[in-house]
Amino acid sequence: MADRISYFRQKGDPYILLTSLGLVISLGMVAFMIWLILSKGLGFFWPSDLIQVNLKNGNSHLGELRARETAYIAEQEKEQIQLKIGNREILGRDFIWIDQANIQSESWPDDAVTFERLENGNFYGFIQSLHVGEETLTGESATLFRKCQVYQDSARNLRENILDMENDLTNLIEPLTRLHREISLLKIEWGNLSDQDKKELEKLEMRAAELQEQLTPRYEELSAELQALITRNRGIFVSVKAATGQIQEIQLSRVVRFYRPNRMNILAKSGTYIAKLWEFLTAKPRESNTEGGVFPAIFGTVMMVMLMSIAVVPFGVLAALYLNEYARQGKIIRLIRLSVNNLAGVPSIVFGIFGLGFFIYMVGGTIDQILFSDTLPEPTFGTGGILWASLTLALLTLPVVVVATEEGILAVPKANKEGALALGSTKWQMIRKIVLPNAMPGILTGLILAISRGAGEVAPLMITGVVKLAPSLPLDSAFPFLHLDRKFMHLGFHIYDVGFQSPNVEAAKPMVYATALLLILIVLALNLLAIYLRNRLRKKYKSSVF
Amino acid sequence: MIVNVQDALASKDIRELTEEKIIIETKNLNFYYVPDVPALKDINIRIPQKKVTAFIGPSGCGKSTLLRCFNRMNDLVPGSFVEGEVIIEGQNIYQDGLRLEKLRNKVGMVFQKSNPFPMSIWENVAFGPRVNGISNKSTLEEMVESALNQADLWREVKDRLEESALDLSGGQQQRLCIARALANKPDIILMDEPASALDPISTGKIEETIEELKNNYSIVIVTHNMQQAARVSDYTAFMMIGEMVEFNDTKRLFTNPEQKLTEEYITGRFG
Repeated sequence: MADRISYFRQKGDPYILLTSLGLVISLGMVAFMIWLILSKGLGFFWPSDLIQVNLKNGNSHLGELRARETAYIAEQEKEQIQLKIGNREILGRDFIWIDQANIQSESWPDDAVTFERLENGNFYGFIQSLHVGEETLTGESATLFRKCQVYQDSARNLRENILDMENDLTNLIEPLTRLHREISLLKIEWGNLSDQDKKELEKLEMRAAELQEQLTPRYEELSAELQALITRNRGIFVSVKAATGQIQEIQLSRVVRFYRPNRMNILAKSGTYIAKLWEFLTAKPRESNTEGGVFPAIFGTVMMVMLMSIAVVPFGVLAALYLNEYARQGKIIRLIRLSVNNLAGVPSIVFGIFGLGFFIYMVGGTIDQILFSDTLPEPTFGTGGILWASLTLALLTLPVVVVATEEGILAVPKANKEGALALGSTKWQMIRKIVLPNAMPGILTGLILAISRGAGEVAPLMITGVVKLAPSLPLDSAFPFLHLDRKFMHLGFHIYDVGFQSPNVEAAKPMVYATALLLILIVLALNLLAIYLRNRLRKKYKSSVF
Repeated sequence: MIVNVQDALASKDIRELTEEKIIIETKNLNFYYVPDVPALKDINIRIPQKKVTAFIGPSGCGKSTLLRCFNRMNDLVPGSFVEGEVIIEGQNIYQDGLRLEKLRNKVGMVFQKSNPFPMSIWENVAFGPRVNGISNKSTLEEMVESALNQADLWREVKDRLEESALDLSGGQQQRLCIARALANKPDIILMDEPASALDPISTGKIEETIEELKNNYSIVIVTHNMQQAARVSDYTAFMMIGEMVEFNDTKRLFTNPEQKLTEEYITGRFG
């Protein structure tokens, strides 16, 4: 018996079991995480049915059923349901818990409508009438609903016209605004002005007055048109009766979409689902990021990763080449290599602080003084922006690239290097034609690791240029197209902001999961792109041509 | 058995090869991988032009080290240094200001393990001329063809020049490396045990190639294999523990060695 036990221990069966258990637990945790994010994130876009709950005290609520659970209040078991009731201007909060004991009856009314609005979140209710200008349309709910759909299209067009016109108006008075800005800047420094400057100021003021006179007729014309459009647009609205009895007027142009979920079949719901998903991917955020899309954040994340890659790869490769090929191997190089490796372990916020102190204040501040002194004290590069954030992340991921490139370089056979030298090539020719092509897969492995690390990093970005809502993308049609000084949005920061800084955390929760899912997918996509590149290069350098 | 090297070396009498034209000459050459421990001791050798000269000797005797002194490949070993002179075509290659690329262009080398670059056959052969500044396509084509012809490889690869050199067989790869060295139009070819990793048939082919090449090139070959040295070389040097024991024409060295040590080595009493 004792013999068998000792053999059992020698064979190490418990340890084999332990190793497999370790693997199962790690894989299980990852699978669970992905399942959680998938289920919570993807469910967000599904149009839920609307339930009407009539309470014993005579009140009733209409909304989406979010949860049923058993709560323990004062040591008593209580069945509760959670409803998303929307209708913020009437009820003041989006979610309520209702005690099952207080419920008289539950129903799923066919005509209940969900309005997704640009402001104030969802509205749930029953359409009473449609107003177009002086006209009021009432009638059977199905036809009324269809009419609302028709008028929503026209209202939406109208709204686009209004936005265009507002833009025109801004563009029209833009030169005047600029002049006024210059004047006010000069006035601030009144005490320090020379006579010449004062003359200049007078001239500017005169020109401003002239310009104003010139622009006024067109301006007034446009404003009048705009006003007319706005009035017309305001005239198109629906009266909706909430379950609580109040009637709310909702402008159709401020409705993103509306639908009767209880009447929709799977197909119709899928259509709405796809439309909402599409909006999520391509639209700008609304309602302090808790609604709408995340397109600016997707764009910012991808662009930042690309800028980071452009910055980190050349530097990492050059550093690794020097370390391996040119530097004399010795104590100092060992020390440098050790430091580079340890750099990978420095907390990312430290890099953020460095980015703030060095890139933004020192480099950016100097650039501002030399190139953008006319706009000072308002900083151009002396404040957070996508360039500085990318460079900070490049610094953060530099060790990864250096180490991977070094491994790639070490994997180049010594025989090939000697062969090239023996053929009379210089060291640089040898590096360019033998070492670099053969180290390319290693370099790209470094890039892949850098992307994985950099794309998910949030802490250093928060102090180097990420904002919760960027007014414009860092890439657009305005000269010089690429605006490296602009602040940007980032999916990782978006998750933090929506999940923890939002005024309406409960409503934003699904958005957090959806954004997290998207972030994972984007990191995955960027990685796949780099892996694809690496495989192509591997094939290329295996067969020929440099 | 115990061999008394010191005794043997005391009566050192390396024949001067005055009747041949000399291409490589070393004068009191010492080589150190680490200070105070010479890997080559006081080597004086005169290698004749357009002949095959073989270096034989037991492992670690310094024959590869000596070979690598002729194109200064030893420079790559950190901490190593050289004393004395190596004169190739009248010029001391260890003098300051010598351009290594020019030297290695003139003194080609074939390594023990074939080391084709991971590129096409054509690019492998064109590598040397290209790094030395030739970019005219038709000139390169000519050079590649002539080099492959000389290495007796053209017939086998002329239809697959764009294929990867790594797809060739071991023997072909080694002949490709010879062709690659020949493309530079060198005067001297150093071969460091070029056939030691090959099967007998491939070895035979390499030896045939060497036989043909010696009409136009001076060849120095290091080999473990005494039969090979006897077959391909005109002159043979026997080295031991960093010293040149005997340098003689091959037939004489193998049939009637002047040194007792040499005799013991070639009859297999040690080594």
